[in-house]
Amino acid sequence: MRGEPIEAIRVGLETLVASLRQDPFALENAWLSVITFNRTPQPILPLTELETLQIPAIPQPEAAGTHLGEALEFVCKKVDAEVTLSSPERKGDWMPLLFVMCNGKVSDTQLFSQTVPLLKRKHFGKIVACLVGHHPVTENVRQFTDNILSMDTADSSTIKTFFEWVSTSVSVGNRSIGATDELVLPPPPAEMNAII
Amino acid sequence: MEENKEQEIQKEVSAEETPQAEKGETTDSQSENSQQPEEPKMPEITYQTLAILMKNLPNGKVKKEYEAEFDVATLKTEKGNSIASAEFEGLQAVGLDYFPEEKKIKGIPTAAGDHKITIRYKLGDWTDGKPVLLYTFTLIINPDPRVLWNNTPTPETIEYYKPDSDKAFVQAGDKNMAAASQRGRSHAHEGNSRDDDFALHFDTKTDWYALVVADGAGSAKFSREGARIACQTAKEICEAQLSKDGIAEVLDLAIAEYHKDDSDKNRIELYQSLHSEVLAKAAWSAFENIVKEAQAKVEPVKQKEYATTLILSIAKKFEFGWFVGAWWVGDGGIGIYQKENNQVEILGEPDGGEFAGQTRFLTMGEEIFKDRQRTYFKIVKDFTALVLMTDGITDPKFETDANLKRIEKWNALWEDLNGANEDGVKVDFTDDNAQAADQLLRWLDFWSKGNHDDRTIAILY
Repeated sequence: MRGEPIEAIRVGLETLVASLRQDPFALENAWLSVITFNRTPQPILPLTELETLQIPAIPQPEAAGTHLGEALEFVCKKVDAEVTLSSPERKGDWMPLLFVMCNGKVSDTQLFSQTVPLLKRKHFGKIVACLVGHHPVTENVRQFTDNILSMDTADSSTIKTFFEWVSTSVSVGNRSIGATDELVLPPPPAEMNAII
Repeated sequence: MEENKEQEIQKEVSAEETPQAEKGETTDSQSENSQQPEEPKMPEITYQTLAILMKNLPNGKVKKEYEAEFDVATLKTEKGNSIASAEFEGLQAVGLDYFPEEKKIKGIPTAAGDHKITIRYKLGDWTDGKPVLLYTFTLIINPDPRVLWNNTPTPETIEYYKPDSDKAFVQAGDKNMAAASQRGRSHAHEGNSRDDDFALHFDTKTDWYALVVADGAGSAKFSREGARIACQTAKEICEAQLSKDGIAEVLDLAIAEYHKDDSDKNRIELYQSLHSEVLAKAAWSAFENIVKEAQAKVEPVKQKEYATTLILSIAKKFEFGWFVGAWWVGDGGIGIYQKENNQVEILGEPDGGEFAGQTRFLTMGEEIFKDRQRTYFKIVKDFTALVLMTDGITDPKFETDANLKRIEKWNALWEDLNGANEDGVKVDFTDDNAQAADQLLRWLDFWSKGNHDDRTIAILY
């Protein structure tokens, strides 16, 4: 992804954050981290609480390649380092939610295969994959999630709808984990296709 | 290339402006001499956009004092020019201002949103006729979360409807009982039902008190009913068992024996009688009734749809002091608070998981009755209060499992209940105050950042 779609994503992220700020529960509880990746993952926004968070500019990718394996490995490390688990002396965080936006391709297949089982053990409340482009490749992301959405074009209005949906998912997600270990996400927006 | 272009534009602008300015001067001099003066024209100002290199201002919050370091004198444009003077457009509209002497932007933000603030500025070498430059940035002011909460009543037409709040006061024997339960803001915001419940009972024939609180799991569809069934069943079974001839005397005797001699043998006998005949029996019956309800539906559902925690306690006064027994699954807390000797006895252990909101439920059935000891008891001379709470209260007031055992936290809770809080809400625990439950319900409205779950508390005092 290059050029206009990148800016659309930045605008989409701003929409996400602005709408989460309108949710009193999210405003006091949600933290957000943004990582971009091509050949290497790059954290453009470290895990930050919603109150102080500002969406930075997203750099244009300089290298081609979809190193999804490396990106997910990076996510796993971040989860280990940043998510607080409950202990007698410390209150734990809510289960994190992971949204992966990509074209579905994987250039680093070996690392990807090694990382998927690690990722699955990280206790995400939910992992959602959003595939961008016509004829998306689904078999890779399916290895780590059943929640797959796709958008044909990365135009700004579709991206905006996606992030609005992410916002409602976060609102639902951060308060309903408990007895029914399955977190039920809201239905995806009409502009997007849910891949079953 | 771009710099040249910029200069060209500037040239163009000055080419336009200079003659006007000159004309203006001539007009002025003419007006002194001429009889038909032309009306003076306001000098036209032109604007150009040029980015300033600056750090984003930190986000603010409505009604909360804002102060950010900001010094126009040290700013540079993206082309490296220094800035001579600057005005802000949009700052005052949100309750802020720039104070050059203090090098600060400060004030008290009045409106939430992503505000566009424009700096109109002049470069160091600015002279009349040169364009004024503009740079717009975003200043984020967060809303006050307190005003974002909606309070939508739960539709009375839903299955298993229950009122959004409940309270009870029981004046009895040596001590009174008060309980209150309030729907959490996160439920009220979406018009969802309260999932917590409680039950109180004092048996005038046996002098046994029973107090129960339960917290239905937020994610389970019918947990509100699970919590209700759990509380009602547990209360009824305790009541029934404790008035059965064969059981009440045996238990009373076991308690007296244990008080005389706290040997292992006496402890085990007391434990067995209390556990199998009263507490675990009541909890198991509660579980069974939930399963029955789940299966009796036209379209039967899994019992986990009724997932609930349960804290059940019975207490009775003897000549030698008070006996208190408890059975507990899930989070929340129960403690015998003794203010006089600065002590608290926690009757069990909360069930927690790795992440926030994770716990264990009565509806998990058999495993809950096998996994560990859940029946606890204690004999104390006297106590200030026996308190049962759901996690809507323990999360904000105790935060961690370790804190639940700390007397300082209990002292703070007791003072809080007695009026030491920002709203000045006081529960009057004197003997004949029939308003105690109403006061307790009002107290449950306390504000705590990020803690907006249903809250239920039952107190024997």
